[in-house]
Amino acid sequence: MITEELGTFSDTVEEEAPVEACTKCTACNTVCPVARSTEIFRGPKFLGPESERYRSQPEAAVTAGLDLCSGCKLCEVTCPSQVTIQEYIRRAQNKGAEEKGRTLRDWVLGHTRLLSRFGSMTAPLANLGNRNALVRWAMERVLGIHHKRPLPRYQWLTFERWFKRRPRPAKARRTVAYFYGCWVNYNERRLGEHVVAILERNGIEVIVPKQQCCGIPAVVNANMDLARKYGGENVRRLNGLPANVDIIASSTSCGLMLKHDYAHLLDIPGAEQVGVRVYDICEYLWMLHEAGELDLDFQPVTTRVLYHAPCHLKSHGIGYPAMRLLRLIPGVQLEEVDEGCCGISGTFGVKVEKYDLSMKIGSRLFEAVKAAGRDSVLADCETCRMQVEHGTGARSAHPIDILARAYGHR
Amino acid sequence: MPDTTTGVVVIGGGSTGAGALRDLSLRGIDAVLLEKGDLASGTTGRSHGLLHSGGRYCVNDPAAAIECVEEGRILRRIAKTTIEDTGGYFVSVSEEDLAWEPRFVEGCAKAGITCERISVEEARRREPALSQHVRTVFWIPEDGHLDPFYLVMGNVESARRRGAQVRTYTEVTGFLKTDNRVTGVLTRDAITGEETSIGCQAVINATGAWAGFVARLLDVEVKVVPVKGVMVVLSHRVAHATINRCHKPGDGDIIVPALSVAILGTTSARVPHPEVLPIEWDEVRQMIEEGALMADGVSTARAMRAYAGVRPLYDLGAEAEGREMSRNFAVIDHEERDGIAGFASIVGGKVTTYRLMAERVTDLVAQRLGVRTPSTTADVPLNDHEEEMDQLRHRPAQLGVPKPHGDELGLQPLICECELVRPQDVAPWFKDPAVRTLEDIRRRTRSGMGPCQSAICSYRLAGRLVTERGLDGATATRAMADFLETRWRGVRHVFWGSQLRQAQVTAGLHLELFNLDRQLMFQSQAPSDALLPPPLPGEGRGGGEEAHAPQVASKR
Amino acid sequence: MKADVAVVGSGLAALIATRSLQKAGRKPLLIWPGLSSLYFVYATVDVLGYSDATSHQPVERPGTAVAALIADHPDHPYARAGLDALRDGVALLMEWLEEAGFRWQGSLDHNLLLPTAIGTPKPSCLYPQSMAAGDLGRDEPIVLCGVEGYEDFVPELAASNLSRSWGRGDQSVRAIRVSLPGFEPGKMFTSIDLARSLENEAFRGEVVEQIRDKAAPHSDHVRVGVPAVLGLTHDTDVYQRFQSELGHPVFEIPTLPPSVLGLRLFDRLRKHLQETGVEIIWAAQAHAAELSDGRCRRIHLKSAGREQPIEAGAYVLALEDMVDGALRAGVHAVVDPFFHQSLAHHVVPTERTDESLFKPQPFASIGYGVTDRLQPAAGDGNPLARNVFLAGGAIAGYDPVGTKSRGGLAIATGYRAAKEAMAA
Repeated sequence: MITEELGTFSDTVEEEAPVEACTKCTACNTVCPVARSTEIFRGPKFLGPESERYRSQPEAAVTAGLDLCSGCKLCEVTCPSQVTIQEYIRRAQNKGAEEKGRTLRDWVLGHTRLLSRFGSMTAPLANLGNRNALVRWAMERVLGIHHKRPLPRYQWLTFERWFKRRPRPAKARRTVAYFYGCWVNYNERRLGEHVVAILERNGIEVIVPKQQCCGIPAVVNANMDLARKYGGENVRRLNGLPANVDIIASSTSCGLMLKHDYAHLLDIPGAEQVGVRVYDICEYLWMLHEAGELDLDFQPVTTRVLYHAPCHLKSHGIGYPAMRLLRLIPGVQLEEVDEGCCGISGTFGVKVEKYDLSMKIGSRLFEAVKAAGRDSVLADCETCRMQVEHGTGARSAHPIDILARAYGHR
Repeated sequence: MPDTTTGVVVIGGGSTGAGALRDLSLRGIDAVLLEKGDLASGTTGRSHGLLHSGGRYCVNDPAAAIECVEEGRILRRIAKTTIEDTGGYFVSVSEEDLAWEPRFVEGCAKAGITCERISVEEARRREPALSQHVRTVFWIPEDGHLDPFYLVMGNVESARRRGAQVRTYTEVTGFLKTDNRVTGVLTRDAITGEETSIGCQAVINATGAWAGFVARLLDVEVKVVPVKGVMVVLSHRVAHATINRCHKPGDGDIIVPALSVAILGTTSARVPHPEVLPIEWDEVRQMIEEGALMADGVSTARAMRAYAGVRPLYDLGAEAEGREMSRNFAVIDHEERDGIAGFASIVGGKVTTYRLMAERVTDLVAQRLGVRTPSTTADVPLNDHEEEMDQLRHRPAQLGVPKPHGDELGLQPLICECELVRPQDVAPWFKDPAVRTLEDIRRRTRSGMGPCQSAICSYRLAGRLVTERGLDGATATRAMADFLETRWRGVRHVFWGSQLRQAQVTAGLHLELFNLDRQLMFQSQAPSDALLPPPLPGEGRGGGEEAHAPQVASKR
Repeated sequence: MKADVAVVGSGLAALIATRSLQKAGRKPLLIWPGLSSLYFVYATVDVLGYSDATSHQPVERPGTAVAALIADHPDHPYARAGLDALRDGVALLMEWLEEAGFRWQGSLDHNLLLPTAIGTPKPSCLYPQSMAAGDLGRDEPIVLCGVEGYEDFVPELAASNLSRSWGRGDQSVRAIRVSLPGFEPGKMFTSIDLARSLENEAFRGEVVEQIRDKAAPHSDHVRVGVPAVLGLTHDTDVYQRFQSELGHPVFEIPTLPPSVLGLRLFDRLRKHLQETGVEIIWAAQAHAAELSDGRCRRIHLKSAGREQPIEAGAYVLALEDMVDGALRAGVHAVVDPFFHQSLAHHVVPTERTDESLFKPQPFASIGYGVTDRLQPAAGDGNPLARNVFLAGGAIAGYDPVGTKSRGGLAIATGYRAAKEAMAA
């Protein structure tokens, strides 16, 4: 017997594969927004750990209903046994797509960066098209993108080009790299401008390394090879940054990809070294505050706002730093609306067959928002903001926009 | 006058008995099978499920190896739905193993076992689970997994379709004799205690490790040595193919991916009685440690339970002990040997060769009955009624259809979510009089055999005992508790990590949410009209505690 | 990240601790490692159902019985927490539930006997209004109603057992089934699906009509027990409508998980904390306490991407069982995640359990000895860390299973630990 070579079994504490830890407590199914909204979904317990036991078969990958998982990760957030339910679902979905092929629509949605680049280049025309009933009818028929789903408005001047053109500030205490993501680049440059302005206001130099889509649209559209390709490029570039440069993301889901999913879901080499220095923008600003380095010279912002915590923010495991920050600002009346998932989950709610489900998932949130009657709804995630606006007609903003106003930016 | 009559009574509901019942029925001989517990609840159901290519025996026991080669090929023809044709690896991890290799290669060649040496790199490519300790690898394409439960049920159902009968939980308490000829058996029902007699022309004693006890009822001796083997079940397959250590067969040198789990086996220790099967911690640890030498993931997988089975080794009078004894079998013609006509015993052997064993003993009995029809079990497939076999059991991980983890499962409800058992998979068994406990349902459907070990499905199945069997609540509740307890006794041996956390969930559900402990206290005070047999003995007791030994007839 | 008091846990102990800190004007940070895996037991909050694990006789007055237990067993977690902590904690919970818009009933003066899904009377101290009509102290006949194709509540099984242990003569307990539109046998559905559908008035109407037809052909005075699926989020909203539409008293019976009752309770309490300004860090497993000078300086969270230190003035560690990580069991050793002390060592794993599932399990009692302030004690009896207070399953002797005391133990230890944390 060669016991000394055995390692873990002789150890005092278990180190089992996470999938083995499921105790069938079914907590995940109780919180799953999809399972709570439709009876045609078996739920995360079955699609994740339970099916996973059978996926070690050489040829068995597909489980019916995998595509109904929206990827919100609330199952993982809720699992008392830390089973990485989502990862099993995503891998299986990806394997299924490899075996069965992807739809054109899912291919396109996985390539949102390409799409956005094109949209941005042709901005006025694309925006016009996206609002044209005939075009939308055609998009639904050909691509399977629901005609009622508002599509993001593209901007002609990208954040990347805007940043290159602007003058450099003189002195800085430290430097951070900004992972702005596709949204800021092609759709909401102003958010990026605010992030830069706030950081610089606090004496931090912002650099913008060349970057690729974070890959999450590819992940949720069952195209992990593409996500891995994008992620690999990002990891390579971000690992090239000087060691003392932290990385900031203003999109919840991009940040989570960088922090966690590159290393765990996608197994990208070198990703852990990136993840360890990625911060959500609000998380980072709060850290500055705790270190006594945040400029607290805020102008009052008189506004009554609701805060909706995106599902993926919960997966960050950092609490709600945006709320803490906003409470520092005089005049801000802030209340959390905790009605769970908004339902859009990135590209999930865009799809023709998922649109109604997506709106049903979000309905509790929509009702609460309408009942509250506030000036706007804040959320760190761009697709949450789109969904809340679409579902309620309310205005929405990133929490950073309020902070920018407090610093005097409009 | 006996209460009923038949042609042949087969005693023993393991693979051999079930095989004999089928063989008789195929030859047109009326037969009844009597089993004191449930079908496949003794040796067969507690085997590790390795379908032997013969490689394991090819050096020490060439005769048994050759039988395995032939029978393995026959089973692949006639019982392919009970087999996972995984192929297997024989791996060397030590110097001694390497020294064994030439003999192994020679043995394979002599027995006609296909055996291909492949590079470790190639082996890892095919089987990433092979551990870093692995030095050389042989590929043995004819090793595989034989599902013992499905095999027995398949034989029995096939026989039943031809008019054979099955009585479970029916113990043989004595024989009817006229002069020196056996003319029938006396039986007792384990639940009702009801005693009946069955008249017959011949009796086949296919009780394996229990053969001596049955023979003693006729004052003849059959020397069977009960040899215990302990196995550990992991919660997933770990490997795609079976893995054997390439050495002189020893402890803990087999890994069998079996449906949704992996089974690590086994040990070899003589026991005083086939129902005294204590599981010792050292054995459990040894299974895991030795398994980990061959495959990665063994020591980190979730160990679900441990169980012990008993080999019915036939004592030919030699000095051999345990594994040294032949895995060959013998037909004992008691008329010739002991002067008792109408009685034959079949002893020794292993599940892989059950069909041949059944054929040989049936040959003898048929000959004595003057039936000249030859055995056709080597040619007639087990699932000759394809659609009925599909009803028999729905087998999740098995290769081929139905593949319930695929699209077909859709949104069908599940009774056992771990093992993907649907209501329609359990429903027919509630109508089968041979099924009398929830463990019996488990053996036929795999319900309760997953990681939670019946925490969830036990309630749903107990509910069906009321709605479909018409039992009263107390009896159904007792059945649920027995089911949980039987599982618990096996899981206890691996109570660490996830399985101990699972125990808390199970206790929370049944003791706190349902208040089942108090329900049982109440029932034990109240008069009961229980319709259940007592739980079967030998389900993994031990762990340092004095195992409860059933009454053993005095030994000479 | 800095915090006033950090509370770790997801069960009732952590929620009570957080709430009492909040009520006292402190700023608790709740570190929530995932929904309590035994959330499904919390259909009711049981304080003490039986005075010990082998007693047949249900406790009638849980408050008095806990006092007696404390007197007899000075090392019991109830004794360590104190009767006052239980009383004040229960009062806090009941007030809290009311403020959060839930209607719960019961008190320490009385256990109600409520039927379980196997039809066994179970002594329950605090319970939602929607379960109260199941009171087995009342004599009205009972009709248990199941749903065709729903396997997680079997009315025939429950009715048969209940009629034996409680029955008031012929037909006093009956089982009926309804078949629901859209939920046929052969199609998968769960309690969650039923609960969501029953929020719909038209759907409910069909259900009510079927039950009315089947429930009371002989007698008008029956009460109807249904699986606990009356509404997904609110405890009485759907229940009250259902009851008035049916015209009979109705009570819910907890089912196999997914447990709608447990979900409603935990969801509401957590949400109410958030609504009232408590910050929750989701999905973060806390471990590794850093000690110096007899105090805990930090604990670490396993956040995405990196370990995140939490620096708090005091810590309430309120994990409740092995499932949520209060203790971790290796092959031989049982350790806690914060101080990594070996709390038990078993040469053979079978030592951890009884041969029967239905007896007290040795492993359940493993835990830290605590000081009289619920600080984890080192071997010498002194606290391992002066500003750390334990609630829940990491306390030695904390075994709620046989005595049906899960809720009460969580409340008492959670409340007391929070109180001590305020004084740290």
